[in-house]
Amino acid sequence: MPAALDQLIDALRVLPGVGPKSAQRIAYHLLQRDRNGAGRLARALDTALAQIRHCSRCNTFTEAEICERCMSASRDPQQLCVVEMPADLAMLEQTHAYRGMYYVLMGRVSPLDGIGPRELKLDRLLARATDGTVQEVILATNFTNEGEATAHYVGEMLRARGLKVSRIARGLPVGGELEHTDIGTIAQALYERRAL
Amino acid sequence: MSGKRVEQQPGFVLHAYPWRETSFVVDVLSRNHGRVPLIAKGARRPRSAMRGLLLAFQPLELSWSGTGELKTLVSVDWSGGLPLLSGSALMCGYYANELLVRLLPREDPHPKLFDAYAALLQALAHGRPQDLALRLFELALVRELGYAPTFDIDADGEPVSPECDYIFIIEQGPVKLQDGQSGEQALSGQTLLDLANADLSASESLTQAKNLMRRLIHHLIGGTLESRRIFMELQEL
Repeated sequence: MPAALDQLIDALRVLPGVGPKSAQRIAYHLLQRDRNGAGRLARALDTALAQIRHCSRCNTFTEAEICERCMSASRDPQQLCVVEMPADLAMLEQTHAYRGMYYVLMGRVSPLDGIGPRELKLDRLLARATDGTVQEVILATNFTNEGEATAHYVGEMLRARGLKVSRIARGLPVGGELEHTDIGTIAQALYERRAL
Repeated sequence: MSGKRVEQQPGFVLHAYPWRETSFVVDVLSRNHGRVPLIAKGARRPRSAMRGLLLAFQPLELSWSGTGELKTLVSVDWSGGLPLLSGSALMCGYYANELLVRLLPREDPHPKLFDAYAALLQALAHGRPQDLALRLFELALVRELGYAPTFDIDADGEPVSPECDYIFIIEQGPVKLQDGQSGEQALSGQTLLDLANADLSASESLTQAKNLMRRLIHHLIGGTLESRRIFMELQEL
């Protein structure tokens, strides 16, 4: 096999879920069936690598030093919502229920994967949340064990600095019927029931 | 699929990691089959029925099939009864999971260890003292894995006396201290006897057991525990 082909197959294996077999299949496809597409992919990767970085305020992907959302004058700078990934931010935006700022962790505390405060650079979040303008921090990490661990420690860290901290609520989905809801959700909704 | 099918086993998820596009590999601790890695096919799809169930620290009933090293998860049922862990209780849970993942060989059943783990989670979920619950779990772990020395016989083959002080030498056992001798790691004969009886209700025994367990586990792991490092870092935030 030519060395360049070998290198391509090896390089494709960085993609999540792509093993040696898939990498070989993709390489053959790109070289044999879609050389234009391969060129576009190569250029897009080059451009993205050169131009995409993390927003210095919210940590999400951006081309500028500070992303458009963080620059927006129509958002409430006193509220800061902490999410795990950019996809979570996109979902929250779709709700039109929140007009404050964001901070994207780009991960979560996961002790068995060796991901802790150092790996997540929580000191950057601390600096962002204690800029003097932010009053309330809303923790919108996932309702997994890792998301809970993240929310707990980030919450403690920020509460100790005098910030108001809240956690998004958990329970039955809107329009959800008990009969068709998964048991774990119903169980936790019972444990966390609230007084009326 | 051909291969042995195992039905409705009580178990806990210890750890899950992504596998291919839409699946997880879950490292499961089962009561009767020990630690088994299972592929949860399609469990990462948005509407997967398994997704909400495959949570660590929750009592489950699992069925799987296959003969290879990696078996296929066929079904998972919620046994329930435990609120989700949070805060430091959650970190204690991660610590226990890391110990099991790193020390327990695959497919080596230890029903007593399983029961000790289930008791630990009960204590953690219901806010009972974490120190005591952790020590009893660690004790069950080192005993079940055959690493536990006899606590009630000293290195000279003499029964441990509650009145004497000992120093514990790993791979040797308790060595009696002569009168006037003392050491940082000295522990009382009473603590050793309490360890032998798995009764750590006395506060001195609990404190001394903590130091001894830490040394034993450090020796077994042969390195640092990620969950402990991260817990310490989180405490400093």
